[in-house]
This record gives sequence, structure tokens and C-alpha cells, in this order.
Amino acid sequence: MYNFPGFIKQAPIIRKTDRADICLKVHTVSLSFLSEDIRMKNEGKSAQRPDNTAFTQQRLPAWQPILSAGIVIPGFLIIGLAFIGIGIGLFLTSQTIQVQEMDYTGVEKDSPCFRCTIPSNLNCTCEVTFSLSTLFTGPVFFYYGLSNYYQNFRRYGVSKDYNQLTGDTRYFKSRSPEEDCSPYSYDSNNNPIVPCGAIANSIFNDTFELYQIINGTKKQVPLDGRGISWWTDYNIKYRNPSPVNGSLAKAFDGTVKPINWPRPAYELDLTDPNNNGFLNQDFLVWMRRAALPQFRKLYRRITDGDYAAGLPAGNYSLTVHYNYPVLSFDGRKKVVFSNVSWMGGKNNFLGLAYLVVGSLCVVMSVVMLVVYAKFKFSDDDDA
Amino acid sequence: MSLIFLKLLGATAIEDKLQEGVPETIACLTLANIKIWVLTGDKLETAMNIGYSCNMLRDDMNEVFIISGHTMVEVRQELRMAKERIMGPGKDKFSSGLDMEKTELYSSDSVFEETIIAEYALIINGHSLAHALEADLEQILVDVACLCKTVICCRVTPLQKALVVELIKRHKRAVTLAIGDGANDVSMIKTAHIGVGISGQEGMQAVLASDYSFAQFRYLQRLLLVHGRWSYHRMCNFLCYFFYKNFAFTLVHFWYGFLCGFSAQTVYDQWFITLFNIVYTSLPVLAMGLFDQDVNEQYSLRYPNLYRPGQLNQLFNKRKFFTCTLQGVCTSFILFFIPYGAFMSAVRDDGAHISDQQAFAVTIATSLVIVVSAQIGLDTNYWTAVNHFFIWGSLAVYFAILFAMHSDGIFTIFPNQFPFIGTARNSLNQKIVWLVILLTTVVCIMPMVAVRFIKADLYPTHTDKVRLLQQASRRQGPQEQNFRRVRRTSSRRSAYAFAHQQGYGELITSGKNMKVPTASTSTYPLSSPARGNSVVKNSVVSGTTDAAETNSTGFRRESDQNQEVTVEDLEAR
Repeated sequence: MYNFPGFIKQAPIIRKTDRADICLKVHTVSLSFLSEDIRMKNEGKSAQRPDNTAFTQQRLPAWQPILSAGIVIPGFLIIGLAFIGIGIGLFLTSQTIQVQEMDYTGVEKDSPCFRCTIPSNLNCTCEVTFSLSTLFTGPVFFYYGLSNYYQNFRRYGVSKDYNQLTGDTRYFKSRSPEEDCSPYSYDSNNNPIVPCGAIANSIFNDTFELYQIINGTKKQVPLDGRGISWWTDYNIKYRNPSPVNGSLAKAFDGTVKPINWPRPAYELDLTDPNNNGFLNQDFLVWMRRAALPQFRKLYRRITDGDYAAGLPAGNYSLTVHYNYPVLSFDGRKKVVFSNVSWMGGKNNFLGLAYLVVGSLCVVMSVVMLVVYAKFKFSDDDDA
Repeated sequence: MSLIFLKLLGATAIEDKLQEGVPETIACLTLANIKIWVLTGDKLETAMNIGYSCNMLRDDMNEVFIISGHTMVEVRQELRMAKERIMGPGKDKFSSGLDMEKTELYSSDSVFEETIIAEYALIINGHSLAHALEADLEQILVDVACLCKTVICCRVTPLQKALVVELIKRHKRAVTLAIGDGANDVSMIKTAHIGVGISGQEGMQAVLASDYSFAQFRYLQRLLLVHGRWSYHRMCNFLCYFFYKNFAFTLVHFWYGFLCGFSAQTVYDQWFITLFNIVYTSLPVLAMGLFDQDVNEQYSLRYPNLYRPGQLNQLFNKRKFFTCTLQGVCTSFILFFIPYGAFMSAVRDDGAHISDQQAFAVTIATSLVIVVSAQIGLDTNYWTAVNHFFIWGSLAVYFAILFAMHSDGIFTIFPNQFPFIGTARNSLNQKIVWLVILLTTVVCIMPMVAVRFIKADLYPTHTDKVRLLQQASRRQGPQEQNFRRVRRTSSRRSAYAFAHQQGYGELITSGKNMKVPTASTSTYPLSSPARGNSVVKNSVVSGTTDAAETNSTGFRRESDQNQEVTVEDLEAR
């Protein structure tokens, strides 16, 4: 592969007949092989010379950078300062975001939802009260959060059937070849479950109502559940099966709801007919699996009516319809009220990380400057 | 009986010139710490004259030992005497052939040899060599030969040439290179680690049996100092980068295991895993492996001791391997935990979910591709247009494929295969995701930059210094370069020699040179001392014993062919 002058790619055949004078096998005059030399050279020039292009002879023009002090030290300084700036911006923005977080699992005996943790208590509701000292600027986002909940478990994550969820009714009763829904594929009577799988089955089914307490009376805060999932999920990734005779329910004929669901898929939202089937917003939000064991998912938005500007200061009461059992695996549930900014929710980590890295860069640039100066001057002293 | 009453009719002579550039090449390679031995079939006087004319033997050498004993005892005596003369009387502890002492010798032999300031030469003829290659004398032969600056073996048969090469391979952990032009050199070429054939007047047998071939001896300098060195540098960089890249890519799953219940959930999209090593990161490192030059060719030739790192195995050894592996592990740690910290409570700027599995995957995957591309950018010293195209092109291809696979169109065709629909759009339009990617990239790359800079400043290697010189001279523009001329000592000796010794028919007919034919020499019907000036290179390398030394790529041993040994009296070089 290495082409350099003189590399012969194919062996030139020296025909013995050309060198008749050699056959004598005695001393020959140097003149004869001098002419041979010239002959070979002339032939060689055309046939045996390798390509003499810049590419094959490794002479391509190139940029040859060296990590010199003039680039590295100012570079570190600039990056350090830029990162400190970004870090301050992030940190300050994060500080302006308000978050109200309440754990309502009911672990302690004196917590409002303790009685709902007793398994025999079905359809339990409990009330969590909290107060806001200042205006919680809107739009306010209402999340539910779960801890110690491994939605990122691999076996859990593959337990669904994409073909069903795109509305392909062929796979409602039979199963796709790739599906992996068992044991949530058929119920105890061997009826096919739609939507099958563990993710769908474990949908979060606590519901909440928020009331502001004004002069002792409860005023309901309107919660808006439209558009809480990704646009692509709602419009492209998940599709309802085509309605049969105008009815979505009939499309689900012959199948049963998942085991843990209170109502079948086509009746998930009794108030809004568009929010049923696989396009139910809560369902879509749940199906987007979280990456980490602590996560929060958007439940509702508070943007309407009197609360468009946010939640004013005061006392609030949150009514929880407690259905979702998490204590068996030591999970925790909480609700989070938060507002957002250009960087999303409250996140001190990123601001701090940028500040730390920025300062480290500045420190490093100073250290390198000292090392370089010392080396340079000591070198000059030696020289 | 009587030379009277004869009329002198005339006289003939053969001019047997060395190729041009041979002394310079030999001097240059000696500076590169490569030991050069000459194995020739010529007579003693011819060999000595060749030695003087290519500056291997000099008049100012302390002593030239000539081993020409006829019996084993005489040869042993002469070798012992030579050794004592070199090392001084009384220091005879290396004389026995015990294995323990042997290892002691080899661990310190390079140091010991450097302390020999005086210059010695050893000349041994074929008859004595036959004795010296016996099992009980070979150790002392190797010792004496390695203590001498120059070794010339004359009247050597082709079999003995191969045996000498094998001797060095066995006793010294060195890489051997054999270069020759005639059919009598084929066994030597095949025995050495690297065989080089010179194509020319002697026919094509040497070329067909060799790994590399060219037309003139002086091209050996370029082969070793330019291309061999570049090849080693490229290979080592390539290996380091490959280990780093794959450790950074894979160990993210190790860290994720702690947070996903050890369920082997992959962090990345399946398609990313498939395409990462094939499409996104293969071409830049290929370009680096093909085109990278740490020092350009003029400077490589000008500073032969840039060759030393290859001999000392400095660019890729256990320590370097652990360093680049550790770098990969640290990179994977940073790649995982910075997005983890950021995503723990992150949401989109419209409040919707972003800390889901798919957006997490896209963030980490994008950070990874950018980090490893930045790393290959740091590793590349020589940015040709191809390098630029491959590196920027790979990044562009990554984003193109990412958006294509997460697009609506492909989801409607294959809903099962592309479940990541919409993720790229919805996550990469968030400023927080780009801030995470930027932070991750900087945290992974900056320590490496700082370490390299400080190391080059505090402990510059020879390569670093030459690169600085190269950069400085490029800035000043092309000037008159004063090439170092090899000082050719004027020798009292004339270039002509007269020899009237008896021939070596007795040696041949005694059968001393014939051993049980081995596979490598079975093609030789006769082992007569054919003519040819052959040179064996011995580069002293401590460390690797296998023949797959990174210097020699492209081993192509041609299959043994029936090679006729044509005893030609042409010695055109």
C-alpha cells in the first residue's frame, strides 16, 4: 500500500533472450548492463512508476494544528467565562420558578391519606390542604410524581403492542408476531385485552380536584387536560381504530379492558368524546415511559378563568381520589405545582454544574498560564 | 610452475559499484538506533572494502576483529579474545550460557551497550561462522556481535544468512529486517520479520519472496523512517481511539443499570446502537488511520531518532491501553450522569414531559456522537480535505439519520421498527437539551485538552519538539535548507582490492554448510556462496517478541516458487 518512488507494483519480467550476452556466463563488460539499465529505466518510467498524485503519495495539503498556548489558554478562559455566564443565567431563572410539592402517599399515620392506604378501603378520597404565600404565577402546571417506580424496566418497556396502538384492528384479537404483552395479553377467561401489555395496564388512575378556600367556601379551580401529551403522540404515533357504525366502542368488540382499568378504553373520558380510545391524553402521557425511577408527569394545566394569571395566595384544598397502590413496592406519590420558563422546570443542578465547570475552566486556564510561563522562562534561562 | 615465456595479452576487471546513497542511508539508519549487519558472499577483502566505502568501517575505529579460525577451538578462542578486548580483562561474567544470566544480560544489554564508547567492528567469514553458529558458541557470538558497532560476515552461504537472522530473532527481542537483491538472499528475507527485496539486475526472486520491494537501497530510509514510523503512529492512535470510543459508548449502560433495576434496558435507540460503529464514527477514524502524519516526511528523515518511540513500544503499551480505557470509562460516567442530573426534574418549556426514555436516549446519543467526534478531531494531527469531509460529514449524517428515523413518514411505513417517532423534534428543540449536550461535551473534552497541553509543555517528547520546529519553519516560509551531509571520512584505503587467497572449495565439499533442509531452505538445490551484497538490519526493540510489530503492515509472503539459482556474475546494483 505504501507508494513511494521505486515501489514496483508488478514484477517486470526480464526476458532472458534480451540479455543474450549473459548466456555466456563469463565476465561481461560493464557496458552491456549499463545499456540494460538505461533500457529498463526508459521502460520503467511509463509502466512501473506508481501514481504520482498528491493523494497516493501522501502529499495532500493539510492543516496541521498544534495545541499551542495561544489557543488553549484563551480558549479555556473564554469557555470558563461563558459557562459562568450561562450558569448564572440558569441558576437565576431556576430560582424564579415556583414549585409546590406535596407527598400524599399516606405513609405516616397522621397524614390525610393514611386511611386510603388500607387495601380494603376502595374508592377512597382524601383531602390535602396547602397554602400559598404569594401569587403562583401562571400558567401553572399540575404534575403527579412517582418515586421508586421503574418505568424504565426493560421487560416492562417492551410489554406493549405497537400495531394495536396504531389502530390496526387485525391485531385486536390476534397477536402481532413481535408483541410481548404477556401476561397482560389475555385475561383469565382467555379474552384478548386491548390495549395489551404492562404499561397500559399500570396506568395511573388517581384523579384530583383542586379547590381554593375563600372565606370557608370551596371554589373549584378549573383544570385543563387538553394537549398535555406530545403533538406527535396524539396525531401520529397513536391512532384509534376506525369507528364501526359510527361508534368507537363497537370497534373494540370481542376484547376486554386491561385488568386494572376501571373502564374500557373507549370510555376513558366520559365528558369529552374526543379524549377516548388510545388518544386519551392521560393514556398518552402515561405511555411515554419515564427514563428514571423518580419522575413526574403532566396531569393538568391551570390556565382558565380566574386563574389565568396564576394561583393567588391563599389556602387550597386538593381532593384526591386515591386508587393507585404504591406502598407494596415502597413507592411514593406526590403532586407538584410548578410554572415553567425557557429552560423548563426548576432545575438547580444544571445551573450549578455550569457554574462549577466554568470556574474550573477559569482556574485551569490560570494554572496553565502559570505552567507555561514558568516553563518558558525556565527554558529561556537554560538556553 | 613457470610464468616465463608468456606474453601478457591483456587484463579484465569488473567494476562493482555500490548504489548511490548507500552510505548516507546506512548512516541515517544507524542514527535511528538500527543496527546494521552485512552478510555477503564476497571474499574478506571485498567485504572490508565495501565496509569502508559505505562508512561502516572507519579508520578511526578502535579495533576491527577478524574471526577466521578453521576449527571450533580456534573460533572460540578468537571470539573470547575479542570479547575480552572489548570489555576489558576480568569482566567475563557474560561468558557462560546459563539462562539466568542470559535474562540479566538482556534486561540491561541496551544500557550496557551504550556504555561502550569505543567503536569496534567484527568481521567473520563463512567457515568460522559455521562453527560459531553451533549451539555452544552462538551465545558468545551474539554477545560479541552486539557489542560491536559493525558486523560484517563474508563468504556467507544463503543458509547461513538465514541462520544468522534466526540467531538474532531467538536471542534478542528485536525486530529484524533483511534486505537483499539476489536469489541467494531469499532464505534470509523469508526468515526475517520484515523482508525487503531490491528489484534490479539480479532478477525477481528476492522481490517475489519479500514483503516490500523497491529498486534502490536508499529507499529503505524512507520505508523505515517515513512510512514505517507513520504507520506505527497511525496504528497506535487508531487503537487507542477505538478502545476509548467503544468504552464510552458501552459503559453508559453499566451506569444506567443501577437506575433501571439492572434489567438491561438500553439507553440508546436500537438503530443508534447498530449505526454507531458503522456509520457515525467509522469514517473519521479511518481517515486518521490513512492520512495522519505527526511529522512531515522531510523532518522524519532529518531527525532519525524520531524512530525511537516505535522501537521502545511507547505509543501503545499496557499503560497506554489502561489510560485510554480509563478515559472511556470516565467519559461514559460523565455522559450518563450529567443528563441524569439534568433530567431528574426536567420538563419542556411548554410544561410537557421531557424526562422520558426516548428523549433521554436522544440526548445521550447526541452528546456521545459529538464527544467522540471532538476527540477524533483532537487526535488528528494532519487535517486533509478528506478528514474534514469525514468528520463534519459524519456529524451531519448523524443528524440527518436521526431526524429521518424519527420522522412521520418512516413511522407510517414501519410502525414497529421506528418507535422513536417525534422524539428528535420534540427534544432537540428544547434549549435545556442543548445546554446539557454542551456541558457534557465540554466536561469530557476539556480535561483531555488540558492534560495534553500541560504534558507537551512540561515533558515534551522528541516528536513534540520537532512538530514545533516544523510549525515554526512553515511560518517562516521556505528557506534554503542545509541538509546534513554525512561526513565521509577519507580513507587511506583504495577502492580496489586484490585477493589471492585459496578458494573455499574445501568448505563446500566438507558439507559443513549443509544441514538437514528445513522448509524455508528447501527450495535451494545447492548452497554455494553465490554473489550478492546482502545487508541484515537489526533494530533493537525491547518488549514485543511477536513478528506482528506495528511497523510492518501488509505481510505478503509469496508462495515458495521454484527458484533457479542462476550464478550470474553481474553485480549491478
